[in-house]
Amino acid sequence: MQSNRLGWILLAPTLAILFFFGVLPFIYVVYVSFHQWNPFAADPHMIFNGADNFRKIVFDAEFLNSVGVTVLFVLFAVISELVVGYILAQAFMKEFPGKAIFRTIHTLPLIMAPIIVGSVWKLMMTPSIGIIPHYLNEWFGITVNIGTSPVAAFTTIIIMDIWHWTPLVTLTLIAALVSLPPDPFEQAQIDGANKRQIFFHITVPMIAPAVVATVFIRLMDALRTVDEVWMLTGGGPGSATRFVGVHIFKEVFPKTNYGYGSTISVIVLYLTIVACWLLYVTMLAPRNKKD
Amino acid sequence: MKKNNPIIAIVFWSLVSFLTLFPIYWLFVISVKPAVQLFSTPDVILSDPYWGNYAKVWGDRLLRSYMVNSLVISTGNALLCTILGFFACYALSRFKMAGKESLFFWTITNRMAPPAVFLLPLFLLMTQVYAVGDFRLLDTRIGMILVYCTFNLPFAIWTLRPTLDGIPKELDEAAYVDGASSWKVITEIVFPLCRPGLAVTLILTWVFAWNEYLLAATLTNFNARTLTTGLSEYVTTTGTEWGIMATISVFTLIPALIVFGLVQKHIVAGLTFGAVKG
Amino acid sequence: MNTVFKLAASALALSFAAGMANADDAFWKEAAAPYQGVTLRGVTESSPPSLYIREVLAPQFEELTGIRVDIETTSWDQMFDKAIKDMEAGTGIYDMVYIEQDIIYSYLARDFLTDTTQLLADHPELKAPTYDEGNFTTFADYFKGSNGHLYGIPMEAFIKIYLYRTDLFGDPDIQAAFKESTGRDLTPATTHEEYTEIAKFFYDYGQKNNLQLWGATVQGHTGHPASWYEYVETIAPTFGIYNWGIKADNNYAASVANGGEMNSDTAKEALQWWLDLRQYAPPESNQSTWTEVGTTFGAGRAAQGLVYGENAGWIASDPEKSLVVGKVGVALPPLSDGVLAEAEAGEGYIGYYDGGAFGLPSTSKNKEAAALFLEYIGQNEVQPDWAVAAPRVTNTATYDDPKVQDMNKELGGYYDMLKDKGYLFAGAPAYPFHAQLREAVAPTFYKILTGDVSVSDGLDQMAEIAEATLTELGYRK
Repeated sequence: MQSNRLGWILLAPTLAILFFFGVLPFIYVVYVSFHQWNPFAADPHMIFNGADNFRKIVFDAEFLNSVGVTVLFVLFAVISELVVGYILAQAFMKEFPGKAIFRTIHTLPLIMAPIIVGSVWKLMMTPSIGIIPHYLNEWFGITVNIGTSPVAAFTTIIIMDIWHWTPLVTLTLIAALVSLPPDPFEQAQIDGANKRQIFFHITVPMIAPAVVATVFIRLMDALRTVDEVWMLTGGGPGSATRFVGVHIFKEVFPKTNYGYGSTISVIVLYLTIVACWLLYVTMLAPRNKKD
Repeated sequence: MKKNNPIIAIVFWSLVSFLTLFPIYWLFVISVKPAVQLFSTPDVILSDPYWGNYAKVWGDRLLRSYMVNSLVISTGNALLCTILGFFACYALSRFKMAGKESLFFWTITNRMAPPAVFLLPLFLLMTQVYAVGDFRLLDTRIGMILVYCTFNLPFAIWTLRPTLDGIPKELDEAAYVDGASSWKVITEIVFPLCRPGLAVTLILTWVFAWNEYLLAATLTNFNARTLTTGLSEYVTTTGTEWGIMATISVFTLIPALIVFGLVQKHIVAGLTFGAVKG
Repeated sequence: MNTVFKLAASALALSFAAGMANADDAFWKEAAAPYQGVTLRGVTESSPPSLYIREVLAPQFEELTGIRVDIETTSWDQMFDKAIKDMEAGTGIYDMVYIEQDIIYSYLARDFLTDTTQLLADHPELKAPTYDEGNFTTFADYFKGSNGHLYGIPMEAFIKIYLYRTDLFGDPDIQAAFKESTGRDLTPATTHEEYTEIAKFFYDYGQKNNLQLWGATVQGHTGHPASWYEYVETIAPTFGIYNWGIKADNNYAASVANGGEMNSDTAKEALQWWLDLRQYAPPESNQSTWTEVGTTFGAGRAAQGLVYGENAGWIASDPEKSLVVGKVGVALPPLSDGVLAEAEAGEGYIGYYDGGAFGLPSTSKNKEAAALFLEYIGQNEVQPDWAVAAPRVTNTATYDDPKVQDMNKELGGYYDMLKDKGYLFAGAPAYPFHAQLREAVAPTFYKILTGDVSVSDGLDQMAEIAEATLTELGYRK
């Protein structure tokens, strides 16, 4: 084995970039989070206020609500993407004519910018003139108005997210399924295991790392969702789709509440890291140890 | 797997493809409708397309420069992240450095930060700290390439690590025994074996950079503005220019489609995350 | 914008054809001589008047003076954020920033802006013979500091007016049917009751004849501050609730208990009236910002509406975007008793006078060159073409220009109203905490819109939140 020095040299550029563009800004945000600072307050300067912001956050109903809807959104969206993605990946395991074309089509949503996705869905969902509400009403007599119905708005955002990100999940799961060795499955069939047993005892454990890795990426990105929601509902109706990303955006941009906005961000980042770390340790770390 | 009826598969996939394609089709429909028709009863079938928006977007010198910026920034960023990610993963995979697993996890936490609040420190750093004489990092392509590393480098490391772990260490060791230098081992033995993983990392980081909006909107002004920021110029108090926005969106899809098409077949082979290792 | 580009191109061609050869050219060339090689940078919203600056005035100015002007046009919220970050950090990226009328007080409170009157007084060599502060309409007063000096050069001004469909209001059959059902003639409403009556009538008319037509527009987005703006700037004043119901001279009181009016019975009545209008408004109203209200009216989906003046232009005259060209009339908003008298006496106002100016950040490194450009866009000479390309008027003389007179006819008399009745309208109150307070109360306001909170409870809560926020910000003692 070579010396660790080479290892550190190879890591150095990565660590340097992340330090200058990730760590330094983070330190600044943490510093600001202990201050009251709004450039348009009567006193526009940064005023140290200890842990006041952190105390305030616990009773901030708007913030707690935004955490709630975000968690709901992430759960619904990521689980649906996983289920749909798995079904589609399994369907891709079979040979059929035109498979390559269908696979290409299926990856198309991935290459659309969130801000564009939000715009298209906004136009498709505009009450009464968007194509979806229009035909739902004309053909089935169903009225959908994302401006008045929290359920409609929330559901639309989840469907939009599923549409946009399931392809990523499908791709990773295809890769995982393709690389499964055939032996355990053949052995199980010889032993007379049924489909369900094979799925839970062989398939699931073997693709678990890929699933967790995918969920991890989706979880992080879903927690930061802003652009699409901003375009589609602006967080409404009421606060029904005011996810933490949107909430922070409104706190820091129009409200210029830099101090308290930083506090919220630090807390949200902390919660995200804890959630991901738990996932990481329970699902992936044991595997790594075996090596 | 047992043989299935291909008709069922084709019907199923046609249905899925319809659902996948519809919003993209609708984007196209919006781009070829005159503004006055957008807010009336929608027709599913496109008749009498109007190409005025395309002429306008194509003839706009600013949008053309945004397109070039987008291409340079996303390509530069994807290459940088993939190469640095590869080096980093090689280090994490081959060396017994103290605390390397914590370091690995820490890199990914950089992707979790809610971006809105980080804009202010990034703005301050890029105008006042990362500046030499008249040059400052704000509103430069290189600046954006580096900023995008905060979310793409973690992603690259996360996707490349299993690939590197999956390549047997015995290969490098055999090469060292033969007297190869470390550089040679990394570039000539390990690198080629990682090609599928590298292709996937490259394309996905490229897509993430190509699609990024918020950071570009705040950290560029004149010289490095990207296409996604160009889009927001059409949301105004006197009406959102949906047709123009949709047309620009169609234009943003084309390069992405080409890049995606080129490496499509590598993607499935490369997106293995942890799975091959087992 | 189609029109803007078209008109911009023709205006450009015209001005070059004329060679811009007049006696004043000598001044510009001489004054600009020390600033050759300077590039001025401005940030503004990508609205038609701003695009006209970018596409027409900036190139003209560069041609004339050799000073390059780059204008960054971006979206509304991005624009504020970028200007504020630059001025707050003192970076000096921008030499010109767009100042919307409602944020001027925030900028003045922070000394973000350069006193242009003083700057020109200190540098007589920069003072253009064709530029005079006295040329501006009274709208310029909003950009004056407490010393009476000008801190921004007005570049757009509008009033939010009552638009109605002249083809529907003038149709004899409809008039007869209206008379039959209500007992009065069909004319634009002057009171809230009449406005609702007309809305209901056209709603029924649309339903009965299976038309895509509703009774009134409502800017009622349930997640965007546009809805809050419509209420505080447009609806509440017509009921006699001014300045958002906050009493600046009474320690910024908002609640009735402390002497404010935000949750007064009149305020509640106003909000209820507006909410009730939604039943006669097209279904997209709950997703409508100022943008979509214009689109709705332009698509012919509403018989009447309160619409921002910046949209009135294209609605009435741009056939590429509007289906109701030539069918638009303008009137004053419906009012409660006594409100007009208060507005006449200068004690109140009947609607929103909005717009913006170009200001010179204190942090600019090219103040002198920027002052030249600001003078350039403030001249009477450049106004008429600008007003035609992007309907807005900032200089008194512009009203009399034949091109603008023609435009006025096309717009159903909108410019006449701006000129003659503009004094009845007012800009946003002089609060330096505009966006901060708005964002604090907005979530509650959205809940009122969705029906999660009643009007009465909601306004009570909003008054309470407003006072708490103002205390936190240090304005309310």
